[in-house]
Amino acid sequence: MLEFVLDRAPDLAYRSFQHVSLVVQCVALATVVAVAAALLVTTVPRLKPVANFISSVGLTVPSLALLGLMLPVVGIGTLPSVAVVTFYAALPILRNAVVGLEGVSANLLESARGMGMNPLLTFLRVQLPMAWPVILAGLRVSTQMSMGVAAIAAYALGPGLGGWIFTGLAQIGGQNAVNYALTATIAIVVLALLLDLLLRLLGRFTISRGISA
Amino acid sequence: MTTTEPTPTTDAAPESVSGAEIVFDRVTKSYSSQGRPAVDSLSLTIPAGQIVMFVGPSGCGKTTSLKMINRLHEPTSGTITINGKDVRGQDPDDLRRQVGYVIQGGSLFPHMTVAQNIGLVPGLLRWDKQRIAERVEELLDLVGLDPVRYRDRFPRELSGGQQQRVGVARGLAADPPVILMDEPFGAVDPITRQRLQDELMSIQSELKKTIVCVTHDIDEAIKLGDRILILQEHAQIAQYDTPEAILSAPANEFVEDFVGSGSALKALSLTRVEEVELTEWTTATVGEPVGPVLERARAARQKSVVVLDQRRRPVDWVNIKALTGETVPAPVDEARDLHQIDHRATLNDALDTMLVSAYAGVIVTGRRDQYVGVATFEAVTALITARNEAARQAQEDADEQ
Amino acid sequence: MSSDTAITPPSRAGDVPPPAQGDGARSRRRVSRDDLGLLLGLPALCAVLLGGWALWRATADLDDIEARSLAWGLIVELFGEHLLLTALSAGAVILTAIPLGIALTRPAARRAAPAVVTVANFGQAAPAIGILILLAMWLGFGVPVAVLALSLYAFLPVLQNTIVGLQGVDQTLVEAARGMGMSRWSVLGRIELPLALPVIMAGVRTALVLAVGTAAFATFINAGGLGSVITTGLYLFRNSVLISGGLLIAVLALLVDWAGRVLELVATPKGMR
Repeated sequence: MLEFVLDRAPDLAYRSFQHVSLVVQCVALATVVAVAAALLVTTVPRLKPVANFISSVGLTVPSLALLGLMLPVVGIGTLPSVAVVTFYAALPILRNAVVGLEGVSANLLESARGMGMNPLLTFLRVQLPMAWPVILAGLRVSTQMSMGVAAIAAYALGPGLGGWIFTGLAQIGGQNAVNYALTATIAIVVLALLLDLLLRLLGRFTISRGISA
Repeated sequence: MTTTEPTPTTDAAPESVSGAEIVFDRVTKSYSSQGRPAVDSLSLTIPAGQIVMFVGPSGCGKTTSLKMINRLHEPTSGTITINGKDVRGQDPDDLRRQVGYVIQGGSLFPHMTVAQNIGLVPGLLRWDKQRIAERVEELLDLVGLDPVRYRDRFPRELSGGQQQRVGVARGLAADPPVILMDEPFGAVDPITRQRLQDELMSIQSELKKTIVCVTHDIDEAIKLGDRILILQEHAQIAQYDTPEAILSAPANEFVEDFVGSGSALKALSLTRVEEVELTEWTTATVGEPVGPVLERARAARQKSVVVLDQRRRPVDWVNIKALTGETVPAPVDEARDLHQIDHRATLNDALDTMLVSAYAGVIVTGRRDQYVGVATFEAVTALITARNEAARQAQEDADEQ
Repeated sequence: MSSDTAITPPSRAGDVPPPAQGDGARSRRRVSRDDLGLLLGLPALCAVLLGGWALWRATADLDDIEARSLAWGLIVELFGEHLLLTALSAGAVILTAIPLGIALTRPAARRAAPAVVTVANFGQAAPAIGILILLAMWLGFGVPVAVLALSLYAFLPVLQNTIVGLQGVDQTLVEAARGMGMSRWSVLGRIELPLALPVIMAGVRTALVLAVGTAAFATFINAGGLGSVITTGLYLFRNSVLISGGLLIAVLALLVDWAGRVLELVATPKGMR
């Protein structure tokens, strides 16, 4: 197996990079969308049940089913990967962002306004930093999930390590089938753990020491 | 005074005692091999049929000592006997089914109804269903909860005080001779606590169990205890005596500090309302025609009447001007505080209650919340004055000698 | 997981929802408005989707391949296979993870709990598709291996929620029960388990959802299920088949989720609802 990996080191590196890059970009996009949606939900409370319904139902729909539903719309390749990964990534962040933003006490918001902060400033200086630990927890869940979803999206010829898993499946019985599937699976686990570590470090540096436990 | 031998109490020995004597003999409990044990060689006799209060600062070993009686904690050495039987000679589960256990807040099981909670131990003892159901009714009645209304409720549908009452009923369920209580009234508000304490004393005067009760509240200990055990660190006995003796002759500085100032005021906690000369108040029963009631009230020159229900429990106290209908009405607001106290309540409680009463008096109830009479402010102050006079006289006599 | 709970990250690279944490195990659970919305809304949504699809299937003008891939009998059969895979693996998980969780909260084994959860966590970190395919390469294709893979994947949430649920039981209640003379077994059966049941069932629901989602991959190792509708649609370039497959799997997952929610509600002791 070592030989197998060494032989294909450049390909492995490239696929790893693709996989991580796909996940990071999608999660980043999902974060922006989800936080914006959460802000809307917290300002218009009537939308909250809707948001909760969407995130509950959305998380229940299996990734392969969603992939099947999207392929006719977006075709095969990278695009369905991006769509599916972003969709799943957004849901945990949305839920946590709603909880986090709601957790900021009304008193704090009022005092911020009393100090002359406009809504944008209030959001950036008060709401977001206060809700950040919860949002970040959602982000970590999202990232871990997305690593797996990205592997499945490779079924529709998407980028990343998932391709090797399906190569292994296709060549089953062949001499390298296990090597392909095993290497890709282990690489995904390792990369997922690394990303999680990075996010935890990010938390260490970005969560105000006044509110971190 | 660190004697462990029971000194004669001022209370006359109860005629029928269903409790059992508990003896601690050099009981030690250590949690680690180093350092002094949490309970260091505690020897103590708890007389049958009495309430003994364990008090002391936190960490003094009072709770550990209590829990060694039903073997929730096992002593490291020494023996504890109940009615002469070593607790360690019995199966712990069997032992515990014979010892009532009441803890803070009631600790009711939230997924069981009131009846299921109370019937749990009888069920473990394999009583038949009919007998359990009857016992539950009887106990709910005893702790002043209407069985029909409360039997099938879940704990979260009860107030804190009601939960605690059910907790007491659960502890009494299998009619155990010994009941252990761990801060039983710690989780309720002061007014409810006072009422629960009164009820406990009422129940005790009826049942004569051996009750061992841990509390951090010296006032509660003085009020409830036939004897009080004051513990220092490592469960060293600072004093073990009647409340009167502890108040009048604290054994050492520790006890003096622990009991605190205002001993004279605390002595108010030693006098029971039953010692006050009660006033006969005009009473009326719900549903009775108003005419005769008004006549009785006028004859007694009273402007209000105490309304009782069919079982002679007070339910209302109304001005006669409010009795305008044909018959005496049931109270509109059931939850209204009636300013009633138990006959075992202390003068302290009576004075507290009077401060918020509209009639310069409090309704006194006896067994099972039944009406006994009314304690007026004058009657209470007269008793206090008489007591103070007697005490002064005794002091002077002592000084002369 | 109740709707107001933030998701915390215990799971790793899963492609399906993270395990539900005990939602403040001792909080007095009542059916919140959101949960009620899901309880009533889910079957309604499923009925509309399924009804709409059936109507389309009955009236649409399908070519030969489409008609064969979406034959009524075939769809019903695949539906049944998918459900069976889900039920078998959920059953296997319940029979193994709950006893293990109980064992790991007993005084004798309590210290081992964090280690076991960490190991289980690592298992969860692997992508489901990778685990499934590797297991099939090792043990062969077919239903038993699929059930094994699904069970491995759905194991953690039930284990974790069993542990969290039992640990969340108020220890004063346990001591009260012991103090009243209940044996350890009877405390477990009559106090601890009933009180932990809502949290445990939340884990079971998560496991069900994980299993029903992962069962879609079973077709890759010849173990049947609705996943084959999607693979067929993709191989034969028939969008109608693809969409049908996605829709049917989604509806089945939502129905399983709904069943899990009903189970959770039923499992919550009456006094705690």
